[in-house]
Amino acid sequence: MFPFGRLRTLLKSWFQRAALEAELDAEVRSYFEIMVNRYVGQGLPEQEARRLARLNFSSPDQVKEQVRDARAGAGISSLTRDVAYSLRRLRKAPAFALVTVLTLALGIGANATIFSIVSRFVFRPAPVGDPSRLMALHTTHQAECCNNFSWPLFSDVREQAQSFSGVAAYNELVPASISGQGEPERVWGQAVTANFFDVTQTGMTLGRGFRTEEENLPVVILGHALWRQRFGGDLNIAGKAVTLSGRSFTVVGVAPPSFRGVDSILYCQFWVPLGNIDHLLPNTSNRVSYNYHWLAVVGRLKPGVTQAQTTVELEILARRITKAHADVQYDDGFRFERAGSLPPRDKAAVMLFLAALTLVALLVLCIAGANVANMFLAQASGRQREIAVRLALGATRRHLLHQMLTESVLLALGGGLLGVALSLWATRSLAAFRFPAPVPLDLSVNVDGRVLLYTFALSMATGILFGLAPAWTVVRPIIANGLKGEDMLARPGRLWSLRNALVISQVAMSIVLLCATGLFLRSLENASQIDIGFRSRGILIMAVDPRLHGYSPERTTQFMNTLRQRVAALPGVTSATYTDSVPLSGGGRGESFHAESQPMPSRADVTTELYMTGPDYFQTIGTPILAGRDFMNESATGPKVAIVNQAFAERLFKNENPLGQRVTGRGVTYQIVGVAKNIKARFLGEDFMPVLYRSLAQDIAGDPSFTGYRIMVRCERDPGAVGSALRREIHALDPTLAIFDAETIEEHLRDALFLPRLAGTLFGTFGFLGLALAAVGIYGVMNSWVSRRTREIGIRLALGARVTEVQWLIVRQGMLLTGFAVIPGLAAAWAVAKLFTSVLYGVRPHDPPTFALVPLFLAAVAAIACWFPARRAAGTEPLDALRHE
Amino acid sequence: MLTAMAKPTELLQGTLDLLILRTLESGPLHGVGISDRVEQVTKGVFVVGPGSLFPALHRLSENGWIKGEWSELENKRRVKTYILTAAGRAQLAEEKRNWKRVFTAMNRVLAEEV
Repeated sequence: MFPFGRLRTLLKSWFQRAALEAELDAEVRSYFEIMVNRYVGQGLPEQEARRLARLNFSSPDQVKEQVRDARAGAGISSLTRDVAYSLRRLRKAPAFALVTVLTLALGIGANATIFSIVSRFVFRPAPVGDPSRLMALHTTHQAECCNNFSWPLFSDVREQAQSFSGVAAYNELVPASISGQGEPERVWGQAVTANFFDVTQTGMTLGRGFRTEEENLPVVILGHALWRQRFGGDLNIAGKAVTLSGRSFTVVGVAPPSFRGVDSILYCQFWVPLGNIDHLLPNTSNRVSYNYHWLAVVGRLKPGVTQAQTTVELEILARRITKAHADVQYDDGFRFERAGSLPPRDKAAVMLFLAALTLVALLVLCIAGANVANMFLAQASGRQREIAVRLALGATRRHLLHQMLTESVLLALGGGLLGVALSLWATRSLAAFRFPAPVPLDLSVNVDGRVLLYTFALSMATGILFGLAPAWTVVRPIIANGLKGEDMLARPGRLWSLRNALVISQVAMSIVLLCATGLFLRSLENASQIDIGFRSRGILIMAVDPRLHGYSPERTTQFMNTLRQRVAALPGVTSATYTDSVPLSGGGRGESFHAESQPMPSRADVTTELYMTGPDYFQTIGTPILAGRDFMNESATGPKVAIVNQAFAERLFKNENPLGQRVTGRGVTYQIVGVAKNIKARFLGEDFMPVLYRSLAQDIAGDPSFTGYRIMVRCERDPGAVGSALRREIHALDPTLAIFDAETIEEHLRDALFLPRLAGTLFGTFGFLGLALAAVGIYGVMNSWVSRRTREIGIRLALGARVTEVQWLIVRQGMLLTGFAVIPGLAAAWAVAKLFTSVLYGVRPHDPPTFALVPLFLAAVAAIACWFPARRAAGTEPLDALRHE
Repeated sequence: MLTAMAKPTELLQGTLDLLILRTLESGPLHGVGISDRVEQVTKGVFVVGPGSLFPALHRLSENGWIKGEWSELENKRRVKTYILTAAGRAQLAEEKRNWKRVFTAMNRVLAEEV
C-alpha cells in the first residue's frame, strides 16, 4: 500500500522544493547554533566552540544531502536530473537524436495506425448510454450463429425475458428518398420500435426520442450529418415536415453526431417508428410470420443482472418458445454480446486480418528498434572514456544504467510523438479505400484516446527494451582493454556479438516482411489482370429507386425504358441499358436453381447470381453471348426467358445443350434462350459462379430490388458531359427522383479491388520500411566495424594487401551476416505465408518466384549497404591508420 | 546510523525510529533535545548525531508520525520542535510490541546458550 500522506509530501516536495530547502537549512543552522551556545556555556571561547561544533557535525551540507535522499521526492529529483542530462547530451548529438527519433517514429507510427483500426473495430463501444450493459441479441439454429428475429419471436422475448429492463428491435437498413428543398437524395435509415432510444439511452442533440404512442405515426429523427447538410443545422427543425419517399414525416428530434446506429459499421441517417416500414419497404413478405427474420434486437441488462444469469435465462426461454411453437419456430437458441461488436459472422475473419496486420507492424517496430539499439551501441563506443571516468569516480552501474535508459526512453517518447503525427496522416489516407458494398458503411478510422494510450505504452516499452540491451553492455566495459587503449566493449572470441545478433534478426525479419509484400503485390497484379468478363472502361452508371417514389412495377419499367431511349439518343453515347445491380458490387441477389428436365431424386440445386437486364444489356456491358440469342423486348406477361452463363450451363447441364431447357428457382420457371460468357459476379477472387440474367420487365413485379435500378451508359469519351446530360434526362422525366451511386465503371472496379489494394498498399509500405531500416542497420554495423578496425586495415594495406582484397573482406563480412539470416527468415516467412491463403488472388502462399527473389533482392540491397563502408575502408591511408590514436 | 559510545554495536533497523518516537512520547522536543534525551536515558550507550537524526526526523514526519513546528526559545532563538501525532502514537505502540517480541525471542535464544 502506498501511504497517501507520503504521496502528498511527495507532491508537496516537488512543488515547494525551494521552501523545503530553506526550512531544512534553517533547521540545521539552528541545531548548529544550539551546539555552539552549549559549548560557550561550558566556558569555551566562541571561536573554539564553533570549531568543535563543526567537528561534531561532520558537515552541514552532507547532513542536508542525507535528508534530501531520505525525502520522498528524491526519486523524482534524480529523474529530473537524468532527463536534463540526457537532453543536454542529445542536443550535442542532434544527428543521432534525429535519426533515432525518425526511425522509431516510422515503427511506432505503423503500429499506431494499425491499432487505430483495431481500436475502431474491436474496442470502440457502441455510441449509446452505458454501452457495457446494452446487449445485441441473435438467434441460433442448433448452435449455429446467427440470424435476425421474426416479429413473434421478438414479442415473446420482449414480454418474457426478465434479465432486461428493456428490449428494442429495429430493421437495420431502410432506404428512402428525401425530397423537399434542394435536389432529392437517397438516404438510408432504420425503422425502430418506439422504445429504441430509451433502451439504448441515446439523448438527442435537439428535440426528443419517440414516444410509446408514436409506434405507427409518421415521425422521424434525423441523423446529425443529414440535419447539418440538408437542413443547414436548422435549430427549429423540430415540428417541421420532411418528405420521405413521397410521404410527409414530422421531425421530432436530431440524433447526436456520434450516433449512426448501434451497429459498429452501418451508417444510418434517419430513424422512423417501426409502423412506417410498410410504406418505406412495400411489397415484402408477411411481417408477422415466423419465417421472416427481419429484426435486429438489442436489450438493456437490468442493474445487477450478470451476463451469466442472462445466458441461463435465455436458454430456458429458448426451450419454452421452441416447445410452444415447434411447428413454426426454426431457430432454437439465443446468443448475445455487447452491442456494437463486429457482426458475429465476420468477426473471426476480421480479427485474423487485424492480428496479421498487428504482427507485421510489430515486426517493423522490432526492425526499427534493433536499428536504434545498434546506433546506441555505436554511439556508446564513442563515450567509453566518459563512462570509464564516471565509473572510476564512483558512479554506480545502476545509476549509469538509469541514465542511459532515460535517454533511450526519451528518444522513444519523441519517436512516439512523431509516430502519432504520422498515424494521423496515415489514417486520413486510409479513407481513400472505399469498401464496395451496396449499403452505407462507416469505416472511418481515427486516432482516439485508446490509440494514444497504446502508443505511449508502446513507446515506453520500446525505449526500455531496446535501450536495456546496449546499456547493459556499455556499463560493463572491459577495463583491461581500456588500459591498453583498445575497445572496451568488444568481447573478443565471441562469435555472436550483440550487434551482429541484432543485424541478423533484423534481416531475418525483413525477409518475412518482404515475402509478405511480394505475395500481396503479386496478388494485386493478378487481381487487376483477372478476366472479369465485362468491359472495364467507358461505362457510366447512375442509380434511381422509383419504387421509393410510389411507382408501380409497370410504371418503373416504363420509366426505365423511356429514359433508356432518350439517353441512347444523346451525342457520344454508343448504347444504353438498365439493370438492378452491377457485377462486382460485393454482394447481390442470389437464388437456388434446378433443371426441370432432371428427375427429382438426383436433382441438383445450384446457387445462382441473378441480374435483371434491359435491352442492349450485353452490348453495353460487353459480355459476349456465346450461343443462342439476346432478349428481344419480351412482354411482361409472356413466358419467362433467361440467359445463363457458361458456369451455370456446365453445372446444370454438363454436356447437354442448355438452349431451350427450363430451369426453376423459388417457384419461377424460365426458358433458357442464350448462353453468355462467365463474369466475376461478387468478388474478384471468386471462382466463376453460375449466373442467370432475366428480363427486368418480366420480373420486376415478383422480385423488386431493394437497392434501386441502374442506368448504364456506354460512352467512348467525355463521361463528364454525358453524366450531366444523363442527370438532366432523369430529372426531365421526374424532377423528384433522387440519383445515387453515380460512378464510372473504372471507379466501380477500383472499389472492387479494395482488399488487394489495401493489403498491397499496407504490406508494400511495411515491406519498404522494413527493407530500408534493415539496410540502414547493415550499413551502420559495417561502418562501425570498419571504424573499429581502421588500424588492422591500415596494417593490411601497408603489408601489401590490395584495395580490392580489403573491400572484399568487408563486403564478405556483411554478406555473411545476411546469409545467416536467410534460413530462419525464409522459414518464418514460409510459416506466416500460410495465414494469407484466403486473401491472395491467383498466387499460392508459397509462391516460388517470391520466395526465390526476396533473398536475392535482399542480398543485393545488403551488398550495396556494405559497399559504402568498404569504399571508405579502401580509402584508408596506411600511415594515418597506424598513427591513429 | 547509531554510534555506541563504548563500542559500536550494529543495531536492528528501525531502532532509531523507535528511540525517537519513544522520546517524543513524553513531550515535544527539538532536535538537540532529542539527542540529549536519548544520550541521557541510555546512559550514554547511544549517541544520535545530526547525520542520522535529521534524515530520520524527516522520514518520520513524511510518514505522518511526528509533526514539526517552529517555536521560539527563551533566548529568542527559533527552533523546530517535534510532537508525536495520533498516527505516531499508534505506530509507537506497534513498534513497542515488535521490539518486545524480538527482545523476548533474543533472550530465549541467549538463555538456551547458557
